[in-house]
Amino acid sequence: MTSPSTNANSSWPKSLRDPSTLYFQKTSVKRSIIKAYWTVIICAIPLWWYTTSIQRLALPTSRVHSETETLHTLPVDVCWEGIPNGLAEPVRKELVQRSLQHKERWNGLTLEPFRYGNCGDNTLIIRNHNGPESIHNQVLKISVEKHVRKDGTYSRHVVDLLEDLLAPVVDASHFNNLAVQYSSRYRLSFSLLNEDSAAGDMISGWNIEHALRVHITPLLEDLSSLHNFTIESQVQFHAPLAFRPAASDGYWGITREDLNVFVNSAEWILSSSSSNDHVLHFVLFVPSLNARPLYILDNNGQSTESNSFLLPQWGGIIIHNPSSPSHQPLPPADLRLTFATFADQLSALLGIPQLPPSIKQLPESGHHVLSKWQMDTLLRRRTIENTIQTRETLRSIVNLVDQIENMPVGQDVKDDVENALSAYTEMWTGSKSLIDIFTLSADAFNLSSRAFFNPGMLALLYFPTEHKYAVYAPLFASAIIPLFVSALREIVAWKKERKDAKNGSSVDHTQGTDTPNTS
Amino acid sequence: MLLPSFLHLLLCLVGLLGVAHASNANDKRVEDFFERNESPTSSHTNNWAVLVCSSRYWFNYRHMANALGMYRTVKRLGIPDSNIILMLADDASCNQRNKFPGSVYAHPDRQLDLYGDNIEVDYRGYEVTVENLIRVLTGRMDPSVPRSKRLLTDERSNIFVYLTGHGGNEFLKFQDKEEISAFDLADAFEQMHQKKRYNEILFMADTCQANTLFSQFYSPNILATGSSGLGENSYSHTNDNDIGVAVIDAYTHFVLEYMENINKTSDNSLQDLFSTVATKKLGSNPGVRTDLFGRPLAKTRITDFFGNVAQVEVLPPTGHLQTSANDEEDSYLASSDMDNKQPSLPHNLTSEQSLPPSDAPWWSSLSLLIQDWGKTRAWVAVGSLGLCLAWTLSS
Repeated sequence: MTSPSTNANSSWPKSLRDPSTLYFQKTSVKRSIIKAYWTVIICAIPLWWYTTSIQRLALPTSRVHSETETLHTLPVDVCWEGIPNGLAEPVRKELVQRSLQHKERWNGLTLEPFRYGNCGDNTLIIRNHNGPESIHNQVLKISVEKHVRKDGTYSRHVVDLLEDLLAPVVDASHFNNLAVQYSSRYRLSFSLLNEDSAAGDMISGWNIEHALRVHITPLLEDLSSLHNFTIESQVQFHAPLAFRPAASDGYWGITREDLNVFVNSAEWILSSSSSNDHVLHFVLFVPSLNARPLYILDNNGQSTESNSFLLPQWGGIIIHNPSSPSHQPLPPADLRLTFATFADQLSALLGIPQLPPSIKQLPESGHHVLSKWQMDTLLRRRTIENTIQTRETLRSIVNLVDQIENMPVGQDVKDDVENALSAYTEMWTGSKSLIDIFTLSADAFNLSSRAFFNPGMLALLYFPTEHKYAVYAPLFASAIIPLFVSALREIVAWKKERKDAKNGSSVDHTQGTDTPNTS
Repeated sequence: MLLPSFLHLLLCLVGLLGVAHASNANDKRVEDFFERNESPTSSHTNNWAVLVCSSRYWFNYRHMANALGMYRTVKRLGIPDSNIILMLADDASCNQRNKFPGSVYAHPDRQLDLYGDNIEVDYRGYEVTVENLIRVLTGRMDPSVPRSKRLLTDERSNIFVYLTGHGGNEFLKFQDKEEISAFDLADAFEQMHQKKRYNEILFMADTCQANTLFSQFYSPNILATGSSGLGENSYSHTNDNDIGVAVIDAYTHFVLEYMENINKTSDNSLQDLFSTVATKKLGSNPGVRTDLFGRPLAKTRITDFFGNVAQVEVLPPTGHLQTSANDEEDSYLASSDMDNKQPSLPHNLTSEQSLPPSDAPWWSSLSLLIQDWGKTRAWVAVGSLGLCLAWTLSS
């Protein structure tokens, strides 16, 4: 066998060069090129791994499950003043009995033993008083002698009354349907809508600042520990209805079906969209001069005295038929009535419990409009609502993270979950005032919601396995196979070289042995 | 190859028979059960709509028209703009090739301009991405995103989700660039369910093989419908020779045509809508998936999803709630106190309901087989890769 280089001169035309003499066909160059490729690939693997893997920090899953499985109850603390010890014990027993019967109503509440004698400032007090039943701040005045006798008997009335005050009927559909879900911020939008000012008559404005100060602000101040409110208002002069009211003799009527679609959302712009707070709408609607007076019809098609209605969780609407045509602002008497109604609608929408009809509310001291009995009941309701929501949100976060493997969990999510969990745990440790417990529950709820809605927690797009093959195979197979094969061949050649060298063969083997020998 | 496919066919037929038998025996009982417990109205208090056109370019004019047609209908039926998330991947109205600038028509007679003068597109152009759609649904938004781009729903919201574009088996293409898969959608809905972001969802898709898009759903209270089954195309309805392209898809056209006769106070049911659309000439078999949905279709009003009909509470005349107590209010509204808790159906009773003459059980078992095929194919691919390698080495 002769060396190919000696043959080359004879077998290759002059214009072409023998491939084995090209500098890049030298074994060492070729091998270093292959090595370089493999170095890059191997160095890139960690980068590829890093960029394609998802950060999934461990959430306190077991803690979430154990904390949220324990059911907690809120204590209700009531103190009897001015009656001998133990006299009201049968009433308490009956109430406890009822709380077991009406589980939905007393959901999450327990009655502490009634206390007697010296009542603190922060407790609910029942005071003996002969005369009409009344409520004033924290004091409920009832005639104890009339209802609770020394022989241990008591009247049904007092038990009913206490149950209505402490655990008002939250006939699930009613509370959830009407009242808005808890949110720490609300936006209240008050609108005065003239259906058609061009028709001749309109209400040109309203003294809203005064009305708000008198009717709405006191209520909002009472609720300031629960919510933050933003208020906006507007007057519109053209706000057509989307349907025609039914004409009757002398008046126009809105049927129940039409009431459901009264709000003409396509043409009325009722609130600015500048924030993401929940908006409660309050609308004073003034019908056009051509369609006055406008009444709400009952199911039989007869006009009713009612002129206002509530859209659950959305807001309230009042239909106002001006008594005499004018271009004036809303008269003070009408303004008062309007805003008193708005205030009632607002309290219904916010889930403020109403007092039982037999109880008269005495004017509260200062600017307060709500008695402590109502405030406490509302706080307890909202606390329980927040607790349930927090529990469900935390559970669903850990479940979803378990269930969806592509879902990233960043440090902020982890922090929020942990903080929510510690606020939740904190609620039930030690003895705290109701307002503190509520604040913790709101924190836990807000944090858990924020964790759930964290923008980083977006599950990366799902690809079925076959899609991965489809993407990776053409991309990598065409590059990897030649690289792999050439590396293998090079290794085989190198081994053979070494073996031949060991065997002491004098023949100089190069890779050129494969070139066809034409001689 | 022939033998396995024959076996599959046999399996499908057996499955079909089984389902048919089971449903015959139990249908009556289930129906009776629902008749007794069903309250006539839905328990939602607000309505939302997410309308997505995922295709770009002028020749996809019809997809823009589909979404805009739905937009017009839900808006006409009372869903306010603030509750509609409209995603349009392209702006056909302002396309240079549009002979009628600023307008989009869905019919050659060009009576009705769908673009109109009061339209609010929330996501347009390149904002229409899979990621954004999933963010809208799950609510995982950056805090800076404005209110109009968010789906601010709660557990009393009914949501109508409408997707149109070009799709395939278990995916929908977004802008020739990416795809949303049936799994993504199913997971997004599950996340919404977990956070109580909906009361009920009506999912509607008008794409090729649309019914595969909802095959992976597993969250409750979702009613899903699509224009075409696996392996079927969804066809356009009509061309406009002046515009020069097809202007609307057949399925959407017939849905909208039916909806034209609906107003806010109509009480037609979704069953009426689906049955009517199924009788039309579509070139495909529209499907309905009801096993996740708690109410019978015949009792589900179209306006539960397409309108914004809430039960109002009329207040007593004086406007003073404090003295009114509960009884007086209750006399005004018997209808709003209702219970939507439906005992769930046992699993063997639920079936993939389909419209006549559709063949969903056949289709669903086929999809299972296809899934298996996927795995098989993957292994075949790996095997052949190995063979290639061996061959290269040996040579």
